[in-house]
Amino acid sequence: MSADEPVKTTKTDWTTKVWDFLTSLKLVVFLLLILSALSIAGTIIQQNKPLQEYYRFYQPGTVALFNKLGLFDMYHSWWFLACLALLAMSITVCTMDRYRGIMAGLRKRNLILDEDLGNSLQDLTTIKYALPLDTVEKKMLELVGKGFSGKPVATTAEDSGRHYFFEKGKYSRLAFFLTHLSILIIFLGALVGSFFGYKGYVNIFEGEMISQLETRAGKIKNLNFQVKCNTFNAEFYPSGAPMDYRSDLSILQNGKEIIRKTIRVNDPLTFEGITFYQSSYGGQPDEVAIDVVNRDGSLKGTVTAPFGQKVDIPGVADKVAIADYQEHHHLPDGSEGGRALDVHVYPEKGEETEVWLLMDNPDYDKRRGGDYYLRVKDLKLKKYTGLQVNKDPGEILVWFGSVMLIAGIMIAFFMSHKKLWVSLRTDRKGRSELTIGGTANKNRDAFAREMEPMIQSLKEVS
Amino acid sequence: MTNSLLFGISTFVYFFAMVLYISYLAFRSDGLGKAATLSLVGGVVVETAAIGMRWYESYQMGIGRAPLTNMYESLAFFAWTIALIYLVLERKFKIRTVGAFVVPFPFIIMAYASLNPNDIQPLVPALQSNWLISHVVTCFVGYAAFAVSFGVSILYLFKARSEKLSPKSPGSFWGFLPSAAALDEIGYKTIAIGFPLLTIGIVTGAFWANVAWGTYWSWDPKETWSLIVWFIYAAYLHARITRGWRGKRAAILSIVGFSATIFCYLGVNLILSGLHSYGG
Ligand code: HEM
Repeated sequence: MSADEPVKTTKTDWTTKVWDFLTSLKLVVFLLLILSALSIAGTIIQQNKPLQEYYRFYQPGTVALFNKLGLFDMYHSWWFLACLALLAMSITVCTMDRYRGIMAGLRKRNLILDEDLGNSLQDLTTIKYALPLDTVEKKMLELVGKGFSGKPVATTAEDSGRHYFFEKGKYSRLAFFLTHLSILIIFLGALVGSFFGYKGYVNIFEGEMISQLETRAGKIKNLNFQVKCNTFNAEFYPSGAPMDYRSDLSILQNGKEIIRKTIRVNDPLTFEGITFYQSSYGGQPDEVAIDVVNRDGSLKGTVTAPFGQKVDIPGVADKVAIADYQEHHHLPDGSEGGRALDVHVYPEKGEETEVWLLMDNPDYDKRRGGDYYLRVKDLKLKKYTGLQVNKDPGEILVWFGSVMLIAGIMIAFFMSHKKLWVSLRTDRKGRSELTIGGTANKNRDAFAREMEPMIQSLKEVS
Repeated sequence: MTNSLLFGISTFVYFFAMVLYISYLAFRSDGLGKAATLSLVGGVVVETAAIGMRWYESYQMGIGRAPLTNMYESLAFFAWTIALIYLVLERKFKIRTVGAFVVPFPFIIMAYASLNPNDIQPLVPALQSNWLISHVVTCFVGYAAFAVSFGVSILYLFKARSEKLSPKSPGSFWGFLPSAAALDEIGYKTIAIGFPLLTIGIVTGAFWANVAWGTYWSWDPKETWSLIVWFIYAAYLHARITRGWRGKRAAILSIVGFSATIFCYLGVNLILSGLHSYGG
């Protein structure tokens, strides 16, 4: 290869230096190890936590320094991305560097097993037969054809010898392109995703629909369709562990239902490149009936309060409003309080007070004191489903690149370009003489082992 | 439960196999070697039955799921794959002496697994996926290949030293081992088997994460560590294929790679926190 390559005189010195730097395998090994080391740091220092949390683990000075260096979001820091960019550049340049050599490897050269070629082959076998050349030729084509099924290139040389060139797995040389270009494609997919895609989150109440959502970056995205949540269901195992979350969703456009699908964790819904994933769920009190109870236990009255509205409490001058609901409320002492309703009580004069009413401990509010307390009589929850939303036009590139990568690695490790030469001639004594030799671009030992039985059976031809 | 009993028996058989492999190395008797291989085969057979039984019992409980979903099950599966892959490679590469360095793993892992709760739990929604099996199986077979390469590399380091110190001693203990060159080659070939599998494992994991959470890569510690392991072996392969790193340096990289693998598998669960609350 190097012989027929023109000397590159046009290159200035520094481009050669940059080129050599980027194609140097030292750089690759160094980059891979440095990326590993940096990633280790990223798993030790927790990433993307609110800044306050870091003060619990580190000195304020350290937090400031780490924050400045980008260590709290290091996979997006300029220096981490620079390493990835350098890797991508190195792969690009390496591929260009190798292109000619690989393409040259595909060309058929040396069709004839001459002396030069023979000397370069690891082992060369010569077999003599007391058979006519044509018979040997026929047998040889049959036996070798079992391992090398393609049509051989046959040449008749001046010395009237017949020469055959067999090859297989030629295109395994292209594995280099598959493995390395695939990584560029995966990178490209990630870039496309981060520039043209978004991730967001949306809650939809049962029976309601949305047509916009908020992205993680805090932007509002308008959809040109509506997503409706028909129902949401959560099922639990007897142990209390979650078994299944299901949302029955409809996609509507211009008031018409286009798709209806029940999504579950691991089974999302995609429409126009936007995918909705089952992510969480919750409930908001819809209509609540609260008993107002005298300290002696007798009922003073009942209030019905829609969510968020101040309502008079009968018999007293106070007002009450429903503010929140929690499935698992933590009591001030840290213990689990179960389902709880958060109400705000507004006295005629003075500050409002926040009161938690526990569903499973109805008289809990009695401890607040005063001449009456509140007790939940009836609670209707409006359930909502929480959906993760993802639009990623680069995803397809990532999967395409991944498949390419796997295919490339498999081919690179388990296939090789094998070449085999056979020449037949009649020697001076009139015997037929067969010379056979081969080589592979990888894993020559395995190739030699593969050849053994073929050569053995050639020897046994009679 | 029958499966626990069978797992217990397999642990015991692995222990026995380990002792036999070490004795084989120490006494160099062919009979011991055959017994060692046989007992390891026995351990694998019993554990296969245990895994099958656990699978079956989960169906009887009305849960019905592959036994690959918590720490206990993944450890047991890891032990099983190491033993199985080792047996295949022992046969292919004739490396029975390496057993003393690899077969302790199945035993130690099973013993460690027995410290974890082993009741059959139903699957939480995120784990109810067909990707679970392909992801876990490819990762673990890859890890197991790396484990064998690790054993071979350690043996290589000993052997290479002895070849340097006393080049000609065929009758000695060291002469009994495969040549350093052969060990070096096997150490590479096992990595060449593990690397594509790890790659498939990472890709199937990313695909699954995308189906379940809408993100194929979130730099969670487990994902990151699997990438670290992948980088280390990629560095190994480049250093070897193109810079001719063989022998000692390659062996050390292989040992580093497997240490990172173990950390990825166990260390991340024990020390760091993330999405993977189970051992997959
Ligand atoms: C994460 C990034 C990379 C991965 C996963 C990767 C993967 C591979 C694989 C699987 C092989 C064996 C393929 C074969 O033998 O044909 C290989 C070989 C090779 N790689 Fe990479 N590679 C990466 C980055 C790079 C970079 C940045 C360079 C350029 C400096 C490079 C240069 C080479 C070369 C020169 C070979 C040898 C090909 C041969 O002689 O057969 N690789 N790589």
